[in-house]
Amino acid sequence: MNRTIIDCNANLGSWPFRRTSYNTPEDLLERIGRVGITQAWVTSLDAVVLKNVAAANAPLAEAVAEHDALRAVGTVNPSWPQWERDVAECAELGMIGVRVNPNYQAWLPTDPIFGELLSAAGELGLFVELTVRMTDERHHHPLMMVPPVALGGLLDLCARHQETTIMVANANNAQVLGVARDAAGPLPERLYFEMSHIESVGGVQAVADQIGVEHLLFGTHAPYYYPEAATLKVFDECDFSEAELEALTHGNAEGLLAAR
Amino acid sequence: MVIDCHVHVQSGLGTAEDRMGYLLAYAGRLGIERLCLSLGTSRDQRPTPETVRADNDMVRAAVERYPDRYLGFCYLNPCYLRESLDEIERCIVDGPFVGIKLWIALQCDQPNVDPICERAAELGVPILQHTWIKVTGNQPWESTPWEVATIARRHPEVTFICGHSGGNWELGYRIVEEVPNVLCEVAGGDPELGQTETGVAMLGAERIVYGSDAPGRSFASQIAKVRGADISETDRALILGGNIQRVLGL
Amino acid sequence: MSAHGSIIDCHVHPTAARGDGPAACAAEMLRYADRMGIEWQGLSLGPVFIQQPTEDEIVADNDFIAEMIELHPDRFFGYANLNPNLLFHSLREIDERIANGPFVGIKLWVALCCNHANVDAICERAAELRAPILQHTFFRAGGNLAGESSPADVAALASRHPEVTFIAAHAGLNWERGIRAVADQPNVCVDTCGFDPEAGFTEMAVQWLGAERVLYGSDAAGRSFASQLAKVHGADISDDDKRLILSGNMRRVLAL
Repeated sequence: MNRTIIDCNANLGSWPFRRTSYNTPEDLLERIGRVGITQAWVTSLDAVVLKNVAAANAPLAEAVAEHDALRAVGTVNPSWPQWERDVAECAELGMIGVRVNPNYQAWLPTDPIFGELLSAAGELGLFVELTVRMTDERHHHPLMMVPPVALGGLLDLCARHQETTIMVANANNAQVLGVARDAAGPLPERLYFEMSHIESVGGVQAVADQIGVEHLLFGTHAPYYYPEAATLKVFDECDFSEAELEALTHGNAEGLLAAR
Repeated sequence: MVIDCHVHVQSGLGTAEDRMGYLLAYAGRLGIERLCLSLGTSRDQRPTPETVRADNDMVRAAVERYPDRYLGFCYLNPCYLRESLDEIERCIVDGPFVGIKLWIALQCDQPNVDPICERAAELGVPILQHTWIKVTGNQPWESTPWEVATIARRHPEVTFICGHSGGNWELGYRIVEEVPNVLCEVAGGDPELGQTETGVAMLGAERIVYGSDAPGRSFASQIAKVRGADISETDRALILGGNIQRVLGL
Repeated sequence: MSAHGSIIDCHVHPTAARGDGPAACAAEMLRYADRMGIEWQGLSLGPVFIQQPTEDEIVADNDFIAEMIELHPDRFFGYANLNPNLLFHSLREIDERIANGPFVGIKLWVALCCNHANVDAICERAAELRAPILQHTFFRAGGNLAGESSPADVAALASRHPEVTFIAAHAGLNWERGIRAVADQPNVCVDTCGFDPEAGFTEMAVQWLGAERVLYGSDAAGRSFASQLAKVHGADISDDDKRLILSGNMRRVLAL
């Protein structure tokens, strides 16, 4: 069946701790295309460990320029001077959002700078991707062990920045459900979770039931992960209705972009 | 035939009957026909013999209820050696269990594990040993592939299944590469692209087996490692079921 | 000063290890500078390489530099080394060394973070004398020393003294961050000295600050003239920009 599937969490470029394959635009599209994914939002793997993270933005925009199926998400570090300029550059480059890795950039989401970033990004129509982790903490390089980002305070930020769309990427079941528990009711309208790290048997469905499927985005974390993990979870293991599948695979993502 | 060599009984999900049916329903959606089941609801890391027997009885109930779908792996705490050997008699010799499951009660290169291996050799059953290599620090008695390689060299006639391939599979494969009676199993880690291809390249497809670690992990995310791997269909069939069929003599 | 195009090294420390006394030290520094085409060297911090110097140590240090300048007034110029914790003494040294010559600038190291009221008083006097301030700056991984300044500190200080030219030495060491930290403060230049010859530094500095705000310096004798010059010679920038960095800008700063 010709379903539109938008992968909201794919990557391009090199990861310093493993030789990755399928990491050029052409190869990535071919690889995720094998499982029926038709579009992808991509971030730069290189930017996670660059100090001057913004140096990866123009090359990423250039890499996706000739591929209508790819949309670029830039990387910014609000703890560095002139980050505002980087956010503006991402908008000028036609990117759809900006990604932060607070754990690799040595700041906390509760720091005031994150609020400033949320305001600036929202004004420019960029969503903010808060990436909780990149890889399993148990197998990090022994000299670069980076703990995951804690999501305490996220709901307060959403309340103060209702104009900004936030996508939390690479959060696991416990982290997503922790936010849902703290919310004790519907999640903020513009808060989304991407599902690549949702595990356990039927886990994606269980999480969707808790947070509302409208807050969940399809994502693979490819090419670091096998993209089959996401499609098998959503289409084979879980028992979503057709309406839920439409929302999860592209409706929510399209709505997110339209509402930015 | 697709066989998942690493599935656990886990509390929750209703009654014992409910949870056995629940796992089978989800496995069926992914074309997984048989599940190797171990551990019980205790999740006791150093269980007493009583707890071991109670946990194994949960597995036994599942196997007896669904004999065509479940295969039992007998959980042991090698710290209790005499009771462990008794439990092998009760569960494997008297049936219906087909393998041994060792978790994190004792590192598997310790002398207590040798008599268990000798009995496994006599009975022709494999040993599924949990392994992980954590930069964040292992549990005190948690095994790594190094201990599996050590014990496997002492018992070349026993097939060992290196659970999770040590988690850090790039390292785990290297550790057991030259010990031919060790198989590596892909369960329980993130679906990192390259895991299966690397295993096939280093150990050969005959030594890689599919497992999920469900229900803590998703059947889907784990079988994706094999379904999505750039390997031949022959190799894929071995990993998904052929190898464990051979090991279990099915 | 001499012919256009000759190189000015804005950041040199003639440590005593390079020769016994000012004359031997000068000869040694000139011998190597000649090989590299460096005509002028901006000197400070001689034999007294002390992070928290006393008044006597400051005087001894500046005397040593003064003697080198006296021996070769066509090759050396000086920055008076100050300890801003000793404010009255600092202001006296400025009068004795700069107002009366031959020093032309001020050197501040790590005795006191420059975003401090004591340094404001020094800046006011520097403005009157049109003396540039060469301030050591690091963004040190794991945290700066107690009295150590970062480029952000220099930017804050410079915003209060727009008529003074500041040189954020080493561009903060972690230059990708340091360049960003001073980008919006037009009276702050960065120098190229004192860190490994990492490709891309000079290009980023020119792109962000304009070539007019980038100064060649070496941090010799602790660093090689050569490794530091390589950052300019090897940069993918125009020859005009290289000339500005190697000498034109420093001529402007010193009003030569």
